[in-house]
Amino acid sequence: DQGVAPHKDQLADRRVMFMGLPRSGKTSIIKVVLDNEQAYDTLGLLSTTQRTEHRMMPGITVYDFPGIDDYAESQYIVLNPDIYEGEHTSLVFVVDSQSDIQSAITALFSVMRTAQSVNPHIPINVFINKIDGLSEELKQDIQHDIQQRVLKNMSFENLNCDHMHFLLTTIYSESIKEAFSKVIQYLVPQHSSLEAIINSFCSKSSLDKVLLIDFSTKIYLATDSSPTYSPRYTFACKTIDVIDEISALCGSYVPVDEDDLPLQRINVALDGYEDIFIYQISPSLTLFCFGPPQIISQTSLLEFNGSKVAKAIRKLLPI
Amino acid sequence: MGRSGAGKTSMRSLIFANYSASDTRRLGATIDVEHSTVQFMGDLGLNIWDCGGQHKYLDNYLNEQKESIFGNVEVLIFVFDLETTNKDREYTLYDECLLNLAQYSRDAKVYCLVHKMDKILDSDQKAAMVETYKKALNKRSDMFQPGVYGTSIWDHTLYQAWSQIVYALVPNMATIKRHLSNFCRLTDAAEVVLFERATFLVVCCTSGDEDEPQLEKYMTISQGIKHYRNTCTEQTSPFRSVHIRTRAYSLFVEPFTKSTYILVITADPEIEPAVTKANIDAARSHFAKLAD
Ligand SMILES: Nc1nc2c(ncn2[C@@H]2O[C@H](COP(=O)(O)OP(=O)(O)OP(=O)(O)O)[C@@H](O)[C@H]2O)c(=O)[nH]1
Ligand SMILES: Nc1nc2c(ncn2[C@@H]2O[C@H](COP(=O)(O)OP(=O)(O)O)[C@@H](O)[C@H]2O)c(=O)[nH]1
Ligand SMILES: [Mg+2]
Repeated sequence: DQGVAPHKDQLADRRVMFMGLPRSGKTSIIKVVLDNEQAYDTLGLLSTTQRTEHRMMPGITVYDFPGIDDYAESQYIVLNPDIYEGEHTSLVFVVDSQSDIQSAITALFSVMRTAQSVNPHIPINVFINKIDGLSEELKQDIQHDIQQRVLKNMSFENLNCDHMHFLLTTIYSESIKEAFSKVIQYLVPQHSSLEAIINSFCSKSSLDKVLLIDFSTKIYLATDSSPTYSPRYTFACKTIDVIDEISALCGSYVPVDEDDLPLQRINVALDGYEDIFIYQISPSLTLFCFGPPQIISQTSLLEFNGSKVAKAIRKLLPI
Repeated sequence: MGRSGAGKTSMRSLIFANYSASDTRRLGATIDVEHSTVQFMGDLGLNIWDCGGQHKYLDNYLNEQKESIFGNVEVLIFVFDLETTNKDREYTLYDECLLNLAQYSRDAKVYCLVHKMDKILDSDQKAAMVETYKKALNKRSDMFQPGVYGTSIWDHTLYQAWSQIVYALVPNMATIKRHLSNFCRLTDAAEVVLFERATFLVVCCTSGDEDEPQLEKYMTISQGIKHYRNTCTEQTSPFRSVHIRTRAYSLFVEPFTKSTYILVITADPEIEPAVTKANIDAARSHFAKLAD
């Protein structure tokens, strides 16, 4: 029943809403990130005609809205302005970088006007999607072009640009998981406390970088406040892939109770500046740590500190 | 050896040059014979001759060049293209190759790879297809008794076949295997597997109990690690080792001798990982004498 507009109270409190023109890649993105579907398996996806919902850790719901060609025409028929309300609401607007960008921007403005009129602080994440196969330079150009056009028009219309984020994505690389992570982090309960805990773990244990990662989707829910470089995150994803593949073969272990944690601890040694230590803190969450080899090799110390951090995080998050 | 397009260069690139299966789409037809040498299990220098399969070259191999092509051959690997439009011609080529082999390298081992098995989806049908080839090939191979395997670059079957080939190539493999079983028993390990370092092929495996070794599992681990090793190299931090510990098992993938990696899985929670690690370190020099 596409004609019936959803009301806010039909939607979950902490939510991400995916919107954009038809065929821009909304459903594909959700399937690849949340359902671990292979990117090339999305080639046969049919148009989404019904809003669908996907629940994810920790208590966040992702909504996939049917793509609409003309938001200005139909927003009051299909969408209700109050769906944008709430302080834990975030919007992802997917733009297909390989097709008509101007009509995507027009649609984005229709959505944005309504959204900001009811919720001035709503984060609007523009995913500039399908950038696979483009050169680094061309990607930057496209992002620059879209960003300029949008921001210029916004100031012209007196819209608030403070909560706009532009992210380059493709379902064929980890870029989509990275972009998804940035959207999710804003909604994660107790995010700043999580960050503080991880910061202290990082400095007390002399680690370079610690990510709190959801093992099955590889989304990172929080990290220490040092910058997160894309290649490093991509490398973390690939490391999880191989660990996942190997441990699936060796049989999984069901914990008896919460004290039975940690489930899994992993050391990866590399012949470079950094080694890797992975410490599972719940069936789905894991602390992914990069650090100097002489630190990572002190396993018992890391495990001791890890267990304290795990306890603190388990108290904060509904696991 | 095999007809053009059968997949010879593809499999060589996967096993010896870190290609992924989809990378092989950009391979062109091989011009004449491509020679390459790989240092394998220490002392063993493998000379690999990838013989381009286009007509003009095949004619040469079987006539003017036959002595240089078929002389001093240790192993002939003949690749059959499952999708060939002319099976008879492929068999004829095979017959002629064996004829020359019998004349110039009577002691060579022969392997027949029925390739591109991914084109058949049904697993019963796959098995039946390999059986058909096996029968036909045994009939026409006379004294050579070829090993026949179905393979595809899209799954672990290729690695499985090549592991068999390598196993037969390494001269003291039986001794290595015996020592590996001893090591497995002495360390109370559940499973111990030896990988060749350059290719990450499974060269030898043994398990503590009487169960069949789970070859398929080791193939998957070997491919996973090999793939990951490429990722690490791209990151300019070359891969060294992985150690996974859970309450149920502990798993080590460690550099072992100069030419091998070792996988050790222990399933008894009473065994301290540090002890297992120490055992691996202690065994290293002993195995270096056998495997390098
Ligand atoms: N589906 C499928 N395709 C394969 C497989 N192995 C190779 N191919 C494809 O077959 C094509 C030809 O492969 P090559 O390795 O160049 O063939 P070749 O035997 O070296 O050919 P010549 O050098 O001309 O003798 C490539 O496009 C490969 O991607 C396989 O197992 N399955
Ligand atoms: N090349 C490329 N194609 C993509 C990407 N994301 C989605 N697609 C394709 O775009 C098409 C439409 O995707 P879909 O998710 O159904 O779009 P939706 O209508 O916005 O939900 C599908 O064929 C996808 O495979 C991407 O990053 N790169
Ligand atoms: Mg070739």
